[in-house]
Amino acid sequence: MIGIAIAAPLVAALLTLAFRAARQRQFARVTSAALAALLTLAMAGRVDALSLLFALLVSTLAFLATTFSAGSFTLDWGTTGEVWSRKPIYFLLLATFWSAMLLVVLADNFALLWLGITTTTLATTFLVGFSGEAAALEAAWKYLVLCSVGIALALLGIVTLAHVSIAAGLPPAQALAWTSIVAHAPATAPPLARLATALMLIGFATKAGLVPMHAWLPDAHSKAPPPISALLSGVLVSCALYAIMRTITVAAALGAGPTIQTMLLVLGALSTVIAGMMMLNQSDLKRLLAYSTLEHAGIVALALGFGGPIGRLAALVHVVGHAFAKSSAFFAAGLVQRERQTVALGALHHLWSTGAGGRILLGAVTALCGMPPFGLFVSELLLVAAGIASGQWIPLAFGLIGITLAFLALVRTTIEVEGGKPAAGAARPPSSSRLSVAAAGLALAGAAVTIVVPWTELGTMLNATAAMIARLP
Amino acid sequence: MIVDFVLLIAGAVLIIDGRTPRILAAYVVLAFTVSIFILPSALESPLSLTLFTMSVLLKLVVAPIGILMFLRANPPANDLLPSIPLPARFMLVIAFALISRAVGHFPSLASIPMQDLVAYVVLCSAGMLVVHRNLLAHVMGLLALGAGITFAGATLAPTLPEFVELGATFDALVATVLGLTLVRSIVAHSPILDVESLRRLRG
Repeated sequence: MIGIAIAAPLVAALLTLAFRAARQRQFARVTSAALAALLTLAMAGRVDALSLLFALLVSTLAFLATTFSAGSFTLDWGTTGEVWSRKPIYFLLLATFWSAMLLVVLADNFALLWLGITTTTLATTFLVGFSGEAAALEAAWKYLVLCSVGIALALLGIVTLAHVSIAAGLPPAQALAWTSIVAHAPATAPPLARLATALMLIGFATKAGLVPMHAWLPDAHSKAPPPISALLSGVLVSCALYAIMRTITVAAALGAGPTIQTMLLVLGALSTVIAGMMMLNQSDLKRLLAYSTLEHAGIVALALGFGGPIGRLAALVHVVGHAFAKSSAFFAAGLVQRERQTVALGALHHLWSTGAGGRILLGAVTALCGMPPFGLFVSELLLVAAGIASGQWIPLAFGLIGITLAFLALVRTTIEVEGGKPAAGAARPPSSSRLSVAAAGLALAGAAVTIVVPWTELGTMLNATAAMIARLP
Repeated sequence: MIVDFVLLIAGAVLIIDGRTPRILAAYVVLAFTVSIFILPSALESPLSLTLFTMSVLLKLVVAPIGILMFLRANPPANDLLPSIPLPARFMLVIAFALISRAVGHFPSLASIPMQDLVAYVVLCSAGMLVVHRNLLAHVMGLLALGAGITFAGATLAPTLPEFVELGATFDALVATVLGLTLVRSIVAHSPILDVESLRRLRG
């Protein structure tokens, strides 16, 4: 059943190729993606709560990205001959990306998890360079080289972990399954366990775009088509953070927990501050949002580094809230790009009064600033509480400085691009596809819903899920 | 002993030399030698043998032929554009050799066979990514790094041949297919494939 759920997006994309008429194919794409997403619900009871949470996140946002793409392709990318001929390839790569991310979060061992992460690189490198522009190709190159090195380091860490597990008496078939490693962890872990988990952390942190392994992220996330940017920033980074959470579980069992937490605090503190500083100096909307992803990945790393029940809960709430908020922000950037034919901040004004893109962008940026009524407000409060509880004052100070700088950059940009009214008689920008606007609006609604989660039954479940990061039941 | 010498020379050429054909030859020698080490564990099961065959085909046949064909069509890519002078590259290789020897003296690594050779291959491949500015060097560096990691996998987890071979195959697939496809597209915009041209994207 897990295999079926993983393969479903790809199978659905292949089946839609059978439809010849454009309208039918668009309908088939959205419907089959919805069915593939719903199939993830069947994973309840088959995988643990952490996997289920991330699988639902992946499928919901990948469905919205497919819907957004189905709407946008009709208007924007379907008019020129060359791109039109590559349209089915785009949707096949998008579906492969979706299936690969499901493999990452539904796997029960590091071998399959690594395979999933590598497959995301295979699919997304072409998607990043999809436009064929020089800048997009170069971004794809940086993404390929840096992420391949990161993935190679993670693989080195995983084989070292296998060596440690087998030396501890685990059978080879279970040497990379986290439940087995945690159950049979040696009382005193050898130094190799620290090396293994540290290499895995560096490898997965490269995919999450944490500083200093971040050089590829702003380019790749800003040059990809908007729905792909949404998935890269909102979901792929979350999948990499999921891999880090699994690494923390194993590291804690092997006695390497403090080393990994210290590394996370350093990576998180650097990421938030550097991203905040870079955000103040951006002239491109998508690039600004890409650096914002770096800041939020840093916040999650800090929360995991602080540890404790509050820190782990903050990390999970933040991952979910950020995934929805950032996806809606990139969708909105796509709508703005459609309406204005540019995402250069200097050329964007009075967005609020001229189109749906500007309105959704305002909501998404408010969410990314960590303001109510969005879930990131709660997670950032939890982060501060976790930092105070752990007594890690210096990383907390770095985190707060980074959050403040990012807040200032986003507020300043929002005032500049949203305010004012268009000149009388100015031509109305072209309207966006209703499908794309609906996808962006739903993603924004998801970001708002996360604010109430901690106070509902779901919050109790989320608390139990967060506890799994430190110790499997 | 002969194998140690072969790997030492091949790893050194990856860093010291600046001409693509010679570095390609060194890479092929390195990948072939490493494959010989891995072969016994790959024979453990039909799946691992199949994956081993696929990865060897990619690393030793498809990638070198692809690079040679590319070089024929784009002669400027023959120069790998080293970013540091020759004496510094010599010093780097010596440093890598010394670090690799030191790895063997760590008590926690003492039980792992050929740990010094594994460390040397991984360091030289990673060094190659940094030392040369030509994008083709990055493709070969990624392939060599994949070979080094597979070498490490075969020595660290010889009882997990399927996973090690799967890792090797995917590494080779990513580097060969994605690397060469992107290089083909990028050469239209930057014929000398200098990584410096990527810098204009920096934020």
